[in-house]
Amino acid sequence: MSEIFSIKRFWLLFKKVIAERPTQTLGVTALLLVLSFILYAAAKMLIGIGPAQNLTFIWGLAGGGFFISSYVFGYFSTNAGGSSYLTLPASFLEKWLCGFLIAGILYPLIFLLFYHGIDVAFVAAFHHGLDKTSIFYKQQYESVYNFDLNGIVAWKVYALFLKLGGLMLTGSLYFNKIPFIKTGLAVCALVLIIFSLNWLIADGLFGHVNDAIPYDHVTLSIGKETGTLILPIKLENFFHIAFAFIIPSILWFLPLLRLKEKEF
Amino acid sequence: MIEIKNLSFGYKKRKLLYRNLNLQLAAGSIYGLLGKNGAGKSTLLKNFIGLLFPTQGELLVNGFVPKKRLPSFLQTIYFIPEEVYVPSLTINGYKKLFAPFYPMFNEDQFHDYLELLDVHDKGKLKTFSFGQQKKFIIAFALACNTKILLLDEPTNGLDIPSKIKFRKLISSVFTEDKMIFISTHQIRDLDNLIDNVIIVDNGRLLLQASIAEIEKRLSFKMVDQMPDESDVLYADSALRGYSVVMQNKTGEESKVNLEYLFNAVTGNPAKAKSIFYKN
Repeated sequence: MSEIFSIKRFWLLFKKVIAERPTQTLGVTALLLVLSFILYAAAKMLIGIGPAQNLTFIWGLAGGGFFISSYVFGYFSTNAGGSSYLTLPASFLEKWLCGFLIAGILYPLIFLLFYHGIDVAFVAAFHHGLDKTSIFYKQQYESVYNFDLNGIVAWKVYALFLKLGGLMLTGSLYFNKIPFIKTGLAVCALVLIIFSLNWLIADGLFGHVNDAIPYDHVTLSIGKETGTLILPIKLENFFHIAFAFIIPSILWFLPLLRLKEKEF
Repeated sequence: MIEIKNLSFGYKKRKLLYRNLNLQLAAGSIYGLLGKNGAGKSTLLKNFIGLLFPTQGELLVNGFVPKKRLPSFLQTIYFIPEEVYVPSLTINGYKKLFAPFYPMFNEDQFHDYLELLDVHDKGKLKTFSFGQQKKFIIAFALACNTKILLLDEPTNGLDIPSKIKFRKLISSVFTEDKMIFISTHQIRDLDNLIDNVIIVDNGRLLLQASIAEIEKRLSFKMVDQMPDESDVLYADSALRGYSVVMQNKTGEESKVNLEYLFNAVTGNPAKAKSIFYKN
């Protein structure tokens, strides 16, 4: 049997991971789906169906992905659990693949199916509740569509999910105890540092900074005039590719190396 | 089976716990690793299984480099840490999920060992007491029939009858092709169980010897009056005189008292070394 990957061993491991901690895998997934439903229903009543669609999609996919990623390598919260996991006769690739499959493939797939289902139901209910005799019926009917899973918003959320999920998967192998909170704080601290440094550098270089978004633009205000400095197109493309593909790839593959090198 | 050459290990690179450790451990023995709290016993075991990586030196276990944690290596060794991990499964559920990873697992043996240790199927393992959980894991580990079994403080949490049963079970399942390595600071629990003693202190190997070798080199006896201090490695006042550990110059046989041996070696390492490692 191969030392790197064996289908039989991977299947055994996957079964074990799901069955030994059903609360952390199936339970958390179910909880996230229920919360998404509640969020959609509540947001629909408070802010309308369009914003509710976006809000639920962002929190359910990106937020839920971040949350569930903190559980897939949750064995390290105890000495006994971590020892048992690392000394189980399966390769580090198989162990990583299990985590990747649950957090990176299965959860988003289940969420998308569920989300599409509730979205269709809510939109249908909205359309059904309209007064067909109203002169605004057509306008109201056409103001609400099913959320486009291939639209601009969706793709931005997919990118956010990849970054947050990857960050948490990596963080959970560095922070053994309460990785969700520690990684969350680390991400917030990192973002804060990058934005602050960026603003300080921009202010030092140009002065009169109105806003400064790292790797994107700086807006300057002098008197009543406002101008925006943007990146040269080549650099902008480079950062776009880096943020969309390279960094998420690194974040999802880093746990593979970490599992191989992890001492416990 | 376990070869250690000039192994150094430290949790911090500048502060090594073990420095240039050399050991050769063969199959066919039950080793007792003795040391005070914080002496580095668990650390050594974790190096053997690949949970910690040596800072320097070579370590081969069953012919494998442990730090690679290859599946074929992990199938040959089982590590029971001081605190055991049991998921929310029944005995049968645990067996179904974990046993397939160990090709030599024997189900009949597993049930026999559970019976012997008085572990009965009564719901989820999580609801078992700590002692019951530990006995369950010991039964499972023994049924895996790995070449090496590493036990870290196995008797912690076991009541007195369970400790006796544990000793009996370990003695009965041991075969010449296996190695059992028990780390403990509860020295009395290993009486009549181990046939090789390893004593570590402050990251140094103070003694590695078989019980037969210790019997040959040292004499454990009760005396009315304290003998000449130069011959005594350890002495403890008792009701009727003194319990002493001395160099065995006459060749008389005496039963090894592990507790006294430990005190003798850790209290007087230089003298112990001169007795055991002289030509």
